[in-house]
Amino acid sequence: MQSETPSNTAPTDKSLYEQLRAWVLIGFQSFGGGMATLALIQRSFVEDRGWIKMEEFTRMWGVCQLAPGINLIALAMLIGRKLGGGVGVAIALVGMLLPSVSITLIMTAIYSAIRGSAQVQAALRAVIPATIGIGLVTAIKIAIPLLRQGWKRGRGITLFSILTLCASGLALGLLRMPVIVILLAAGLLNGIAFSVLNTVDSVTETGEAAV
Amino acid sequence: MNPLLLLGFMLKASLFSFSGMGNLPSLHADLLARAWADDRQFAEALAVGQISPGPTGLWVVSLGFLVDGLRGALLSLIAIILPPLLVLLVEKIYRRLSHLPAVDGFVHGLSLGVVGIFAVVLIQLLRGGPMNARTGFFVLAGMALAAIPRFPVSLIIALAAVAGLLLR
Repeated sequence: MQSETPSNTAPTDKSLYEQLRAWVLIGFQSFGGGMATLALIQRSFVEDRGWIKMEEFTRMWGVCQLAPGINLIALAMLIGRKLGGGVGVAIALVGMLLPSVSITLIMTAIYSAIRGSAQVQAALRAVIPATIGIGLVTAIKIAIPLLRQGWKRGRGITLFSILTLCASGLALGLLRMPVIVILLAAGLLNGIAFSVLNTVDSVTETGEAAV
Repeated sequence: MNPLLLLGFMLKASLFSFSGMGNLPSLHADLLARAWADDRQFAEALAVGQISPGPTGLWVVSLGFLVDGLRGALLSLIAIILPPLLVLLVEKIYRRLSHLPAVDGFVHGLSLGVVGIFAVVLIQLLRGGPMNARTGFFVLAGMALAAIPRFPVSLIIALAAVAGLLLR
């Protein structure tokens, strides 16, 4: 794997056509969900074409975690803007989404047509629980770095993080509270906890360090 | 079905989510309350989203198609493209505010809330099918295979389909 573009060769042609071609290829090839798509984008723009430096790619991906909605669409927008301004954003969206959305629709349509068959029903009785299992692993994978971040901020925040996680689930599952209310409450309470506990913890740390 | 209201639900769900499937709980609550969709359709759309190319978040396009045909698919596509546009603004704001603990805490709490709710909704989706040991086995098998690094998700789905046909 070459992480650096040799200095004697300029990055390959950045024309709008080349940009569109790169995105369309990603849209067609990224079978296997989000991680496959992210890997393809990184390989295509950073390694193969050298249009974006790895550090910049990492920073963009970090910012995308804070934007609402699908992170990969936000990433395509940031890369598109960097490569071609407003037109670049449009090219990124059309190029990545037209093939992938079309294939998604075709798969859904085929599925709708055959959903009545006994074989499809039998397969689905296994596929649906397995999909839910995959989703649960995704949830765990997202939760671990969040709890680790909490751990770095001290015991108080760690406890508060675990509490937030469980309380949000219970608020929906048992109390049937509206999702938006739960999310805003979780955000606001943690915002307060971070401002308050952060200072407490740093005081304790300084205290311990002094002893 | 009121298309504007459907678009509104989908936009709201996308606007308050921070990942591809983060919009699931909000949509699940809104569409089930109006009986525009059932647990079964949600589970099916999620399955299609896992195998098809592109972000997993495209599962919503599949859901839109299942509940309202091509119109629903188009509305859902609009709803997932508009909110991420805010990233262009977020990039600027975050640079200025990321040093504030309260801002960090808000994002942290929001992300935790999404995960907690997400897990509960996933388990609720099982109500669409039979609740027995076989279902439990496939949930655990799916989890075990998904925990293996780089094991292709589409292969898990394919294996489950074959197993479902054989164990009929």
